[in-house]
Amino acid sequence: MLEKALKGSKTYWVWIIFLLAVMGAGSIFYIIQLQKGLTVTGMGRDVSWGFYIAQFTYFVGVAASAVMLVLPLYLHNQKKFEKMVTLGEFMAVAAVVICMGFVVVDLGQPQRMLNMIFHPTLNSMLFYDMIVLSGYLLLNIIIAWNNLHAEYQRRPHPHWLKPLIYLSIVWAVSIHTVTAYLIQGLPARHLWLTAIMAPRFLASAFCSGPAILIILALIAKKFTRYDPGKEAIRILAQIVTYAMVTNVFLFLCELFTAYYSNIPGHEHILTYFFTGLHGANALVGWAWVMAAAAILSLVILVPSRFRNHPDMLLVGLVLLILATWIDKGLLLIVGGFIPNPMGTITEYAPTGYELMISAMVYATGLLILTILWKVAIGVKKEIGEA
Amino acid sequence: MSESMQIHEHFQIKWGMVIDVDKCTGCGACQVACQAENNIPPSQQSFDRLRSVHWLYVYKLENGRPYPESDIAYLPRPCMQCGNPSCASVCPVIATTKDEEGGIVSQIYPRCIGCRYCMAACPYHSRVFNWFDPVWPKGMEKTLTPYVSVRPRGVVEKCTFCHHRFQLAKRRARAEGRDPHHLKEDEYIPACAEACPTGAIAFGDLHNPEHKVHQLSRSEHAFRILERLGTEPQVYYLSRRPWVRRQGDNYVQKDQQRGE
Repeated sequence: MLEKALKGSKTYWVWIIFLLAVMGAGSIFYIIQLQKGLTVTGMGRDVSWGFYIAQFTYFVGVAASAVMLVLPLYLHNQKKFEKMVTLGEFMAVAAVVICMGFVVVDLGQPQRMLNMIFHPTLNSMLFYDMIVLSGYLLLNIIIAWNNLHAEYQRRPHPHWLKPLIYLSIVWAVSIHTVTAYLIQGLPARHLWLTAIMAPRFLASAFCSGPAILIILALIAKKFTRYDPGKEAIRILAQIVTYAMVTNVFLFLCELFTAYYSNIPGHEHILTYFFTGLHGANALVGWAWVMAAAAILSLVILVPSRFRNHPDMLLVGLVLLILATWIDKGLLLIVGGFIPNPMGTITEYAPTGYELMISAMVYATGLLILTILWKVAIGVKKEIGEA
Repeated sequence: MSESMQIHEHFQIKWGMVIDVDKCTGCGACQVACQAENNIPPSQQSFDRLRSVHWLYVYKLENGRPYPESDIAYLPRPCMQCGNPSCASVCPVIATTKDEEGGIVSQIYPRCIGCRYCMAACPYHSRVFNWFDPVWPKGMEKTLTPYVSVRPRGVVEKCTFCHHRFQLAKRRARAEGRDPHHLKEDEYIPACAEACPTGAIAFGDLHNPEHKVHQLSRSEHAFRILERLGTEPQVYYLSRRPWVRRQGDNYVQKDQQRGE
C-alpha cells in the first residue's frame, strides 16, 4: 500500500520537498539547541515550561480527530463517517507524533529519555502520559492500517480489530485526561489547580481536533477530488459546535470562580491575561483575540444556517482553531507560572530558536500526515469509494 | 493535610533547619559557602537570576511601608526538604525521592532527563535547571569539593543539605563505634549553617530533643514558607516581626507583596 505514497503529482512532490526543507532548516536550530542547551529558549527559573510543552498539550487535543469519528461510526452505526474515519485515525497518528516530538525537544537531556522506561514511575503523570500517548499511536496505526489493507484487498474489515476499536474510544479519553492531570495536580500553580482541567481538555480536544480534520479534509478534497462526504462533514461540524459550546462554558466557569470568589491566586492570572498585572501585559492582545475568535466562531457555528454554508463553516472553524490554540497552545502552560508562587511576575516569549524547532516538529507531523493520507486516499480511490 | 496522610513521617531522624530571619544580615556568606561546597560553577550570566544556579538564595523582603516604618528582612532559602515533596511524586524517572533516613529529598543527576516537571511542581523555586555547561575558569577546578559530583548541562539540581557531610558524619560515628543514626548536635551541619557569621542558621534533627532545632521549630515565632500548601517543609524560619511571618505565607494574602 505504501507504494501509493511514492507516486504523485508535481504538487505532491513540491509539498513533500517543502516539508523536508522546513524539517531540515528546523533541525539546524535543533542541533544548535543540543550544543548550547535550552539556554537558546526563552525559558528560565520562573517560566520553566514554554512554547514546546504548550504545543504538546494542544496537539494531544488534536489527536481527538479520530475518536469523534470512531465513536459515532462504531457505537452508533453512523455509516456516513466510513469514508472519513481512516483520515481521522491517521491524523491522530500524526498529532501524537507531534506531541512526542515536542516533549523530546523540551528535554534537557534527550539522550536519556529511555530512562522513562528503564525507571518506570507509577506515581508520575508523565509516565502515564507516555503510556497513553504511545498506546494511542499504536492503536490508531494498527486499526487504520489493517482496515485500509482489508479494503485494499477488497475483504471485509478484520474481526479481531473490533475490540481494539472499542478500546481506542476509551483510550482517547485517557490521553486528554492524563495530560490534564499532568498539570492539574500541582500545588501553587493556581491556573492549573482546578478540577475542571480534564473536562476542559476533553471539550477543547473534541472541538479543535475535528475542526482541523474538517479543514484538512477539505484541502485534500481540493487536491485529490476525494470527497469524504457532505453529510459526514455536516454532522462533524455539529459535534465540533457542541464541543466548542462546552469548552467556552467551562472557561466561563473558571472566570466565575475566580472573580466571584475573589481568591487572589485564581484571579491574578486571569487578570494578567486580559488586562495585565503590575504593568506586565505581554499576553493581553492574544487573550482578547482568543475571546473574540471564540465568540465569533460560536456566532457562526451555532446557527445551522451559517454552519451548513461551506464558506461560512470554514471561517467559523478557522476562528475556532485560533481561539483554542491561543487558549491551550499559548496561554495555559505559560499562565501556570505567572505570577510565580512568591507573587513575582516573569513574562515569557518564545525565541526564534523555539519557533524554528517547533516548525520542524510541525513539519514532521505534516509529512507523516501527508504520506498516510496519500496512501489512504489512493487506496480509497482505487477501490472506487471516491 | 491530616497527620495520618503524611507519607514520609516514618523517619526516625528528620534533618531540619531553623533560620532566624531577625539575625540574618543578608551578607550572603551562606550562599557563597553553598556554591563553593557543592561545586556550583561560576555563573555565566551572574546578573540573570532566572538562569543562574543557586541551591540557596537570599531573598530580600520589604514591608512596603513608608519611612520611618519601613523595614527589611533577608530570607535565605535552601531546599525545604518537604515532608510531602511535590517534586518527588511527579518525576518520571525516579531521579528524585524522599526515601532515606533523615528525610532529605534526593536528586540523581545522572538519571535526570531534564523534563523540568519537578520545577513546575516545586512551589519554592528550590529546583534549578542547568541552562549552561558548567565551566570553571582555569585554576578554579582546584577548588572543587571531591565529595560532590559536578552536574552536566540539562539536568535539574537542588540543595541536598550537604548530604555528603551527612555520609561523612555517619562514617565517622561508625568508625568510633557509635550509632550513626544518633549523631550529636553539630556533628553533621551543612556548609551554609557553618558559614553563617551571625548564627542565624541552626541545623539538626527536628525529632531529637537534644538538638536545638527541636525546640526552636516549636517557637511561637516560627513559621514555614507557603505552609498552607501542605508541603510540610523541614525548614523553619523565626521572626519576632509579624509582617515577616505574614509574608511567609502570602498564599492566603492578597498576593500584593512581591516575594523577591
